Amino acid sequence: MIGIGIVVGILVTLVAVLIPWLPTSASREMDRIELVYWFATVMCIVIFALVMAVLIYSVLTFRARPDDESDGPPIHGNSTLEIAWTVVPAILVLAIGVVSAVVLSQNSSAGPNPLNVKVFAQQFAWRFVYPDDGGVKSGVLVLPLGRSARFQLQSVDVIHSFWIPDMGQKQDAVPGIDTSIVVTPTRIGVFSLVCAELCGIGHSTMRAQVRVVSQEDFAAWLKERKGGGGEAEPGAAIFASAGCSGCHAFTPAGSNGAIGPRLDDIAVAAGKVGKDPAEYVREAIVDPAKVIAPGFQNGVMPSTFGKTLSAAEIDALAAYLTGSK
Amino acid sequence: MSAHAEAVAHGGEHHGPPPANQSSRIAPTVLGMFLFIGTEAMLFGSFFAMYFFVRVVNPDASAIWPPPPFAFPKFVAGINTVILVTSSFTMHWALQSVKRNNRRGLQAGLVLTILMGLAFLLTQFIEYAHVGFNTADGAFASVFFGLTGLHGAHVLIGLLLLTFAAVRAFRGHYSPEHHHGVELPGIYWHFVDVMWIVVYVTIYLL
Amino acid sequence: MSVMEHASHGAGHGSGTPSHQRGILMRPGFVRAAWCFALFFLIGLYLVAGIRWIAGWDPVYDWNIIVIVGGLTLAPIGFLLGLGSFDYWLYWISGRPTMLDDHANHGAKTWKDYFKVNTDHKVIGVQYLVTTFVFFTIGGLMAMIFRAELAQPGMQYMDTQTYNGLVSMHAALMIFVFIIPAFAGLANFAVPLMLGAPDMAFPRLNALSFWFLPIAGTMFLASFLAPGGAFATGWTSYAPLASEQPIGQVFFNMGVQWAGASSILTALNFLVTIITMRAPGMTFWRMPLLVWANFTTSLLVVTATPFIAGSQFFVMFDRVMHTSFFVPAEGGYVLGYQHIFWFYSHPAVYIMILPGFGIVSEIISVMSRKPIFGYRLMAISLLGILVLGFSVWAHHMFVAGMADWLRVPIMISTLLIAVPTGVKVFSWLATLWEGRIQLNTPMLFALGFISMFVIGGLSGIYLSSVPITIHASDSYFIVAHIHYVLFGGSVLTIFAGIYYWFPKMTGRMYSERLGKLHFWLTFVSFNLTFFPMHWVGLVGMPRRVADYSDRFADLNLFVTISAFALGASVIIFFYNMIVSWSRGPIADPNPWRALTLEWQVSSPPPIFNFDEIPQVVGGPYEYGVPGARHAILTGGGAKQESHA
Ligand code: HEA
Ligand code: HEA
Ligand code: HEC
Ligand code: CUA
Ligand SMILES: [Cu+2]
Repeated sequence: MIGIGIVVGILVTLVAVLIPWLPTSASREMDRIELVYWFATVMCIVIFALVMAVLIYSVLTFRARPDDESDGPPIHGNSTLEIAWTVVPAILVLAIGVVSAVVLSQNSSAGPNPLNVKVFAQQFAWRFVYPDDGGVKSGVLVLPLGRSARFQLQSVDVIHSFWIPDMGQKQDAVPGIDTSIVVTPTRIGVFSLVCAELCGIGHSTMRAQVRVVSQEDFAAWLKERKGGGGEAEPGAAIFASAGCSGCHAFTPAGSNGAIGPRLDDIAVAAGKVGKDPAEYVREAIVDPAKVIAPGFQNGVMPSTFGKTLSAAEIDALAAYLTGSK
Repeated sequence: MSAHAEAVAHGGEHHGPPPANQSSRIAPTVLGMFLFIGTEAMLFGSFFAMYFFVRVVNPDASAIWPPPPFAFPKFVAGINTVILVTSSFTMHWALQSVKRNNRRGLQAGLVLTILMGLAFLLTQFIEYAHVGFNTADGAFASVFFGLTGLHGAHVLIGLLLLTFAAVRAFRGHYSPEHHHGVELPGIYWHFVDVMWIVVYVTIYLL
Repeated sequence: MSVMEHASHGAGHGSGTPSHQRGILMRPGFVRAAWCFALFFLIGLYLVAGIRWIAGWDPVYDWNIIVIVGGLTLAPIGFLLGLGSFDYWLYWISGRPTMLDDHANHGAKTWKDYFKVNTDHKVIGVQYLVTTFVFFTIGGLMAMIFRAELAQPGMQYMDTQTYNGLVSMHAALMIFVFIIPAFAGLANFAVPLMLGAPDMAFPRLNALSFWFLPIAGTMFLASFLAPGGAFATGWTSYAPLASEQPIGQVFFNMGVQWAGASSILTALNFLVTIITMRAPGMTFWRMPLLVWANFTTSLLVVTATPFIAGSQFFVMFDRVMHTSFFVPAEGGYVLGYQHIFWFYSHPAVYIMILPGFGIVSEIISVMSRKPIFGYRLMAISLLGILVLGFSVWAHHMFVAGMADWLRVPIMISTLLIAVPTGVKVFSWLATLWEGRIQLNTPMLFALGFISMFVIGGLSGIYLSSVPITIHASDSYFIVAHIHYVLFGGSVLTIFAGIYYWFPKMTGRMYSERLGKLHFWLTFVSFNLTFFPMHWVGLVGMPRRVADYSDRFADLNLFVTISAFALGASVIIFFYNMIVSWSRGPIADPNPWRALTLEWQVSSPPPIFNFDEIPQVVGGPYEYGVPGARHAILTGGGAKQESHA
């Protein structure tokens, strides 16, 4: 039986180590989560191996021959055993509990000077604001390497959930309740933020781009943003900050969102319905349901921009997208 | 609900199921009613829980309750409380009467109880009409109408049960030995009554 | 209410009047049900319209309300009335003499009797099982459809709303009208027999609570016809999303009410039966563990279910009465929904597994010819799970933004549930030890259950560790957990139970060969389907998504293919059941040589189970104990020979 136990144990261990179960960590929090994860895994492998060993062994050894009508020995119980398998598991799970509690408190603390980021979730887009830096707005989440960021989440409509898989942390954005979460990026690169709480038809595509850059690049990026967006024209700034870039690919903006249609040749789309491009864009922003771009679904593009953006801003966007100065 | 269980419990002596063994002193119907009341209490529990969340847990709940300018008619509801409590006594009287084989008392008791129940509902209806706010006026109104409405519904159920009992009482059923048909609605009615006191204290007084 | 003065016919199970006296329109049955259904809908319609008209509200015809009141509340009641569920009570209420009972509604002579309001717990048990498996099939086919959509990234066959609708329907059917009532069905058949009782305590109530089920299930499915499509907010239907969805959502809200009412009434019935109708000598410590399991489960149902009723009411009120329970701007509190919902729905997961524990305990002990190991601790651990089960609801809300201080205590209590559950697992293993194991189909499923449930339970342990859940929550890891505990757990035990009691229910034997084939196909394809989901979840695929990033494509294709295999394996089961039921070999009354009472009577059991109430003299699992007996029977036992 020991043999079977060891065999099962080895098999399960192989499954556990050969398959890259977790994404390669990109945050300090994720490192700690992995710690707990492996702690639990070791324990579970042992337990599973034990259970399977006894089960398989019994089936092999104690299987009755077809003609065998006899009964087994009338064993009704054994106090020592029963106490043992009540106490031991209790200790094991409490161990997991303690480790988890410690890690939890570490993962929830933001350290001395965290970077505060306000996250606004809405059906079906993410917007980010950097309050400490003159309220810079962005549709892409840009984070400095190695500095803890504390996100304050707010939702304007229903419940959404903020999750960057490679960084482990997750937190719901709940209307009427301010929630927050801490992430400390440890890897430069581009990641994706996904919405993990069912929030309606656009849920599966409610994603945003996360860019982790060096401290310097981050400072530079902020500076450029502060200066009215840095780009040549106001439309560009709005396009980036209102969240358009999260869903739309548009070469001048260097955005490559794939949730909405590519906006490079918007004039063509306008031509199809015989409209003046600028007018067409204005419509598409204020009332997306009016014309549905082929291959896309109604109701995904937020219909709130008509209210959240001023007429001037919308005109700026129209100008920017149609490339007319 | 359980003529069968009754029969089984006390041996229906004819073709049909063999009498089941009565393995507990409590009558199945009574136990059933108590369990039913248990679930009902939990249903109220869920509404009280919502009240608790909206008023206590909720970070931005208004300090003054109900938020001005609104107010709950403590007094009218107080009168209603008195009515309902009294009705519990008339109910008890009805039960005692049937036990003492006093049919008049049984009938009078039931009728009085029903009348007071109706009076309660009527008062509550008028209260709703004049309370000065409606369901759409915010969470405080939601929980107010939620709890009082839920209780009103239970008064209605209680009244139905009592009516059944009354009809049978006037048709000459029930005897000092056999009167579960009066006892069970009675138990339910007392529950509705007690529940109201809890609702009244929570909603109007606290 | 009871009728002592009618005790003599109290024993009756009939609807009162012998039906042949009335014309087809008036006779209890589907014809009367049909027109009563329509009539009651109209009553509801004009009730609403009338009130709104008097009150001067606009619009007078508010379909939101009319659908709820007329369509989803009164019409079903009309249907039940037409079917004849209330006849006896109506007679009783109106004080008219309830007719002497001709037992027309007890027992089943032809297959037609299964489509009537029948008051025989054995018939009701079968009605339950057949109905729930119909819903299982539909729910499973939904899974097949949306699995096909998930076979590759991007959208192929449907838009996202439809996808969400299918997923929500899948789960709603599986949980509310398959797993929970399927267990109720098995228990309905077995518990009174095991107790030595002639029937349930309230047979008419029993029949009524069964007929709530088809109503609930049909209501769910009907939402596909609603404008805007089926409810699409998952089986959890979180507010505030749920209160601003198309009208299909209320079909869920109300369907849950019907299903909930059904299980509450059944549970109440079980509790009263178990407490007041045990055979002489059947002390609590002599009850089979299946009875123990259903006793605890019923306690859970009776106390917890009203909470989901409440939560659904609130959502509905927010929609139709413009209340603001979950509207923050108006002072509402969004998380209130989740707290109240999970206060039912966590205990619900134990409602969905404890009866399975009972079934497995029976089978393991009988098939290894040994007394169950640590009988008392087995019973106590059930109660332990019951108590702990009420203290862990918030583990579904670790990332929901609830009070932080709640996290650690809830985590600890959640972890502790592993202890009583572990006691059960280890006791089963100890029961196998040195037994004479018969590896037949029920036993295979029981053993398969143990191994699969342990995996599901251990993934539950990961989830109860807050830091891990923070990463894994709302990902496919959850989906994997769900299916390991619900399919690998509950469903396997249901299969085991059906194979185990099949000879008793039908009097015929199923085909062992097909049974074993069914097991191995299910076992393998189940793992191929759901094990990979752990991985896609952990590396970042959220649940409830119709479209996903391309890097998950290959694995999802693989999962979809194995899912079809899993579906196909179910066909074998259906084939086996249907063929064996109609022309399987006649079964021995006690093919497993079991001691519990249901096996001591003929198969199928006589109409009132026992001609003489048996006398219980010992424990139910005294295998291998020389000269030990569980009960002494007269009559019922005699039937055995005459039948076999
Ligand atoms: C039959 C149904 C069932 C059962 C029995 C369980 C059992 C358990 N579940 Fe599960 N759960 C669900 C059905 C079930 N669950 C469903 C449907 C959901 C998703 C809801 C949704 O849609 O969101 C869910 C979600 C869910 C979550 C929320 C995840 C999230 O959404 O973030 C959590 C978190 O704690 C959890 C934990 C557990 C635990 C600790 C157990 C424990 O009871 C398991 C105990 C068993 C064992 C541990 C194995 C046997 C024990 C031993 C061999 C002893 C030795 C073991 C140790 C020492 C560890 N479950
Ligand atoms: C007891 C409960 C139960 C059962 C048995 C199942 C059974 C199955 N489930 Fe289900 N599932 C849930 C409960 C259950 N599920 C719950 C609670 C959720 C969460 C929902 C939510 O997020 O709100 C869920 C969610 C869920 C998801 C995640 C969806 C998402 O989050 O986007 C998936 C994805 O693969 C899935 C797949 C399956 C499959 C393939 C089966 C298969 O086992 C089905 C097999 C059965 C059949 C196929 C029917 C009978 C077969 C035939 C009639 C033969 C003919 C058919 C063919 C050959 C195709 N389920
Ligand atoms: C949540 C995702 C999302 C966001 C954020 C978003 N859009 Fe869209 N957009 C879409 C989708 C999906 C479509 C296609 C469906 C439709 O036409 O309504 C679309 C369509 C459009 C169209 C019409 C394209 C065509 O070819 O017809 C324009 C123009 C447009 N969006 C501009 C914008 C601008 C400007 C913003 C920012 C203020 C923005 N969008 C924000 C998802 C989004
Ligand atoms: Cu936002 Cu899902
Ligand atoms: Cu749970």
